[in-house]
Amino acid sequence: MANVLHIVVCAGIVPDPLQTLEPVTTPAGPGLKNEMVLPAVLDPWAACALYEAAHLAAGNPGSKVWLVSLGPKAKLQQVMMTVAQKVNFELVPIDGPIGGFTDAHATAAVLAETIAALPGLERDRLLLFGGWESATRGSGVTLQLVGERLGITDQFQGVDQIALRDDGSFEVLERVEGGKHQASVCGGTPAVLGWATGNLAEPRNNPQVGMANMRTMMPALQKAKPATLAANGLRYASVSLPKQQRTTRVVKDMTADAIASELAEWIGAE
Amino acid sequence: MESILVLTHAEESGTELSKGSLEAVTAGKELAARLGASFTIGIVAAHAPAGVLASAGARVLAVQGEAFAQARYASDAAACEALCRAANASIVLAPSSSRMARVAAGVAHRLGGVIDTHITSLGGSEGVEATRWFYRQRMEGVISRDARPWFLLLDAGTHAAFSGPAGEVHVEQVAVELPTQRTIVSGFREPPQDAQTIRPDARLLFVAGAGWTKKQPDGEIHAARAGELILGFLRVTGASLGSSKSLVDQGSENQPVLPFLTHMNQVGQTGSTPRHPKGLSTCCHGEEPHVVGWRFIGERRAISLDPNCGWTRGKADVVYIADAFEVMARVTELLAARKG
Amino acid sequence: MSTSTPTGETHAPEIDRQAMEVDIACAGFGPAMGGFLTTLTQAWKENPADPAFESRVMPGMPLQVVCYERADDIAAGVSGVVTRARGIRTSFPNLNAAEIPMAVEVKQERVFYLLDPIGASRRSFTLRFCDAILGRTGALFGIKDHAFELPWTPGFLNKHGGLVMSIGQFNQWVGSQLMESGLVQVWPGMPVSGPLFADRAVTGLRLVEQGVDKNGAQADGFMAGMDVRAQLTVVGDGPVGAVGHALDQRLGLPEGHARHEWAVGMKMVIELPEDSPLEPGTVWHTFGFPEPEIFGFLYVHPERLVSVGIFVPSWLSDPSRTAYRYLQHYIQHPALWRYLKNGTLRSWGAKSLEESGRRGEPFLTGNGFARIGEGSGSTNMLTGSGVDEAWTTGTQLGQAVLELLRAGKPFTRETLAATYEMRRRASWVERGAREAENARNGFHGGVVRGMIGMALAGLTGGRLSLGAHIPPAHKQIREPASHSVEEGLRRDDAAALAVADGRPLHDALMTARGWPEIAFDGRLLVSHQDALLMGGKVQAMPGYADHVIFRDAGLCIACESKTCISMCSGQAITEGADGLPAFEREKCVHCGACLWNCAQSPDGEHSNIEFRAGAGGLHSAEN
Repeated sequence: MANVLHIVVCAGIVPDPLQTLEPVTTPAGPGLKNEMVLPAVLDPWAACALYEAAHLAAGNPGSKVWLVSLGPKAKLQQVMMTVAQKVNFELVPIDGPIGGFTDAHATAAVLAETIAALPGLERDRLLLFGGWESATRGSGVTLQLVGERLGITDQFQGVDQIALRDDGSFEVLERVEGGKHQASVCGGTPAVLGWATGNLAEPRNNPQVGMANMRTMMPALQKAKPATLAANGLRYASVSLPKQQRTTRVVKDMTADAIASELAEWIGAE
Repeated sequence: MESILVLTHAEESGTELSKGSLEAVTAGKELAARLGASFTIGIVAAHAPAGVLASAGARVLAVQGEAFAQARYASDAAACEALCRAANASIVLAPSSSRMARVAAGVAHRLGGVIDTHITSLGGSEGVEATRWFYRQRMEGVISRDARPWFLLLDAGTHAAFSGPAGEVHVEQVAVELPTQRTIVSGFREPPQDAQTIRPDARLLFVAGAGWTKKQPDGEIHAARAGELILGFLRVTGASLGSSKSLVDQGSENQPVLPFLTHMNQVGQTGSTPRHPKGLSTCCHGEEPHVVGWRFIGERRAISLDPNCGWTRGKADVVYIADAFEVMARVTELLAARKG
Repeated sequence: MSTSTPTGETHAPEIDRQAMEVDIACAGFGPAMGGFLTTLTQAWKENPADPAFESRVMPGMPLQVVCYERADDIAAGVSGVVTRARGIRTSFPNLNAAEIPMAVEVKQERVFYLLDPIGASRRSFTLRFCDAILGRTGALFGIKDHAFELPWTPGFLNKHGGLVMSIGQFNQWVGSQLMESGLVQVWPGMPVSGPLFADRAVTGLRLVEQGVDKNGAQADGFMAGMDVRAQLTVVGDGPVGAVGHALDQRLGLPEGHARHEWAVGMKMVIELPEDSPLEPGTVWHTFGFPEPEIFGFLYVHPERLVSVGIFVPSWLSDPSRTAYRYLQHYIQHPALWRYLKNGTLRSWGAKSLEESGRRGEPFLTGNGFARIGEGSGSTNMLTGSGVDEAWTTGTQLGQAVLELLRAGKPFTRETLAATYEMRRRASWVERGAREAENARNGFHGGVVRGMIGMALAGLTGGRLSLGAHIPPAHKQIREPASHSVEEGLRRDDAAALAVADGRPLHDALMTARGWPEIAFDGRLLVSHQDALLMGGKVQAMPGYADHVIFRDAGLCIACESKTCISMCSGQAITEGADGLPAFEREKCVHCGACLWNCAQSPDGEHSNIEFRAGAGGLHSAEN
């Protein structure tokens, strides 16, 4: 028997991971040079969470996926044109600052408040999804804080798999140290799952999925609620690029054998 | 005056404190000494293995019981909350272990506190300043906060593990009222021992790049041979295997081009940033493995066919311009012979 | 509808293919499409109740307008420009350059003839003679840093009052306004494989197959490309776009028209040192170096960013022509290096320019379709301007479509010709195109002759020009080593160097010809491979077929020049097994240079390389 799930995915937007980044000081604190010009993508781990959510929803008819995203409206719109072609979801945009130097507690407060107010969301069907860390702040705490604010005490981090059972319980595999997974069975929703990569490939771009999402997306973007994030006493003494530059010896004229000997010596006996 | 609590937990067998926990103890001890703060260590375990803390000079609290043998959000959060309240902590240090990373934020929230994670060092002339990475290890920030309690999760390998003569330790038990447990931990899943390629304690990280499965100088692809060479090397050296995203992504769905690779092997970008004393990168051309994936590797060497590869320059100590197929086969032979 | 036949990929008939009906389907989002969609949305915002905007396929809904773009982002994979912005300002009368990142008004325009300080460029006797005179009398002519500044900027080159822009940022700016309107949808990351034909009429677009292997065979997660059926298909997919090419193949070109002239434009976006004196809005045009045939430019954006680049034309007949290495030498010319030294490479990219202009103009309209932008032959090669022209052709089609919708008329060859073509023919775009039509003829007879011809055409408004027979691009590539014995020896040296150093042959040949090695500094002077990662971030999602196809393997194997390899902007084409070039999609920047840098032709007109619709490409919004 299928379970009707209400899956809320929290996913921010981040600079394309391939871009070269440089910090700058702005009146509002540290930021990225050229931040609004850099191409942006959906946060990679959170994107995995979104694909898993869509997959789960597709297998459980009647389920629904919301994508809650905090970022500058114009940037969100841009990124969503690609994301919207991947899977079905309802976008819940929050027009706020971009970047990794904001306070996770403030972000969590805004997200929790937005999620709690989602029309039609039933808390006892709720699976709160997101990435186990972002590619910006990378703190890995926002989702837990949102969960706590929503009173959810079954939380999992570094999730690579969820297997739903007929009775509504589900098994979760979480990444733990040493390349292993911890397996747990949770009695049922609500729960918080911070995803690692999962096992799904990135879905194909489907124009019809895009068109379907677009019906709600543009109106939602137009009505996006503005949010300011409190600093909560977080102060930055400095933000800098690492200075460590090594002197690299480029070895061009050694035979494979000679290189192998040198390397074997360097590696030594394990 | 600050009151410092270090949250620790037992490692998987339950008989010892985890390495990360002992590293956090060192950090806590140093910080308490510098600030003249009170110093408490809290343990979450089935049976607190506190003996090692005999010389830590700390008050030791523990939440014990079978419910704490395994890592689980609800029980761990309750335990950590109780320890923090019992210690009346203003600064809480803990390892960035999967166990603590799961619950620490929730506990901070319950106590009305704040949290920062992936801390690599604690400094500051008067108060506390914490250093951490942003944007996937691309930039480093130094932060401070007024709010208390302030939770700081320390990255593994950033402090020496605390050690001292084992002895009698007075452990104060802290009682916890557990909420109803809706989650049952059923155990661990891991690849069979010979297929496990992720070895966090290995001295060497071996990074395989996409070049292994690309066209070789003879114009052909030799993926099977590449797989044999890589596994052969790992068998002889016990090295941990890291991979670039482009190599992991090369396969079709759920079927990587090198069957033993998974996304868990990936370093950089959406992968990990492991810590190992040495790293050897092969057939790898790009920023992610070299800048992000290598951030915490001590000595670094690379084998590349491209003499002008800018990604190794300034990041590796030595770059060998050579065919990795040839070199790695020979290295494995040499090391195998040496092992006897 | 069932009579429609797809073009592009062919697959087994039992494929489950989705189909969708829209009112207007558009291929490619660049300046031309920006102009078209802006014209529609501006009219819609003025009066959303206008019955013209009622959808025919979804009664009760507004007009369904969808646009599909190959690049992963509408800001990715395009190039920066200086433009008079005449048409753009007509669309946005209150345009404030400060609203568009990297845009600034043109403040100063200069033209330089660059001497060769190295002595490696291939200069004719006449040119050497001129250079010698200039060199000797340098002080008299104000020569500085091996550069002779023309005392004035010829009127036809003048962009005064125009804008220096990043097209990536401009596209993003336009795109976000379009999307906000709610009338049109622009979908990035969705290549169009070709038009849907019903005989000679176009009935819509077919999107590319996904979940296929490199050869196009079905693999995991196969998803057939959707058919998007429309009453009007707007083709703005540029000079190497798959839809435009399929149309040319099916319909041919108008009598006397041909696409024989091409260039690859390659550029870098460089962050200048902090003490740079270059003012935003500064524009330089250069010629003479690194080869006499190679034109160059330098445009200064705000915030110490500069776009610097070169154009390597098809009439540079050298089979070992290459763009990246030439660009590295170009930026190191003393006149430029004085400013660029200690700069940092921020972005890098390349694109093909269709330089036949009006002579390469295809059928602009037909039943169910219209063509706009560079692929429609709008680029003016006399003024070196394409963006404003492209934009304007888009707005002209937009006005025409509004007129036809309001009149309730169908989109036929006749109605589109009477509205769109009529507007275009009567406009400054057409006048400019006619002036430029023969302006570059002289270059096929040498650089000096070319410059004279260009000046003649430019100064007489196209009334005077030199005549020329311009062969197909593949015939413009001369046989390797046929130039001289000396050249042959250099080629042998280069081959040895290439083997010894593991570098591409053409790069080794540059060295053998006396070009100094590039002293890599890891910031601005980086290897070509690094530029792929550092300057443009080339990406290709798995699950798509290769888009560069070598049609007749036998011809490739027998081909000695293999210019496709040396001119590949991303080193995506390399020497493969058995002499057949190998293509790596992950490195392709979609510049399309391979299409016209192929010396072989199976049919005497087209080259042996087919450039299909493909996914991926550059990830940089600064271009």
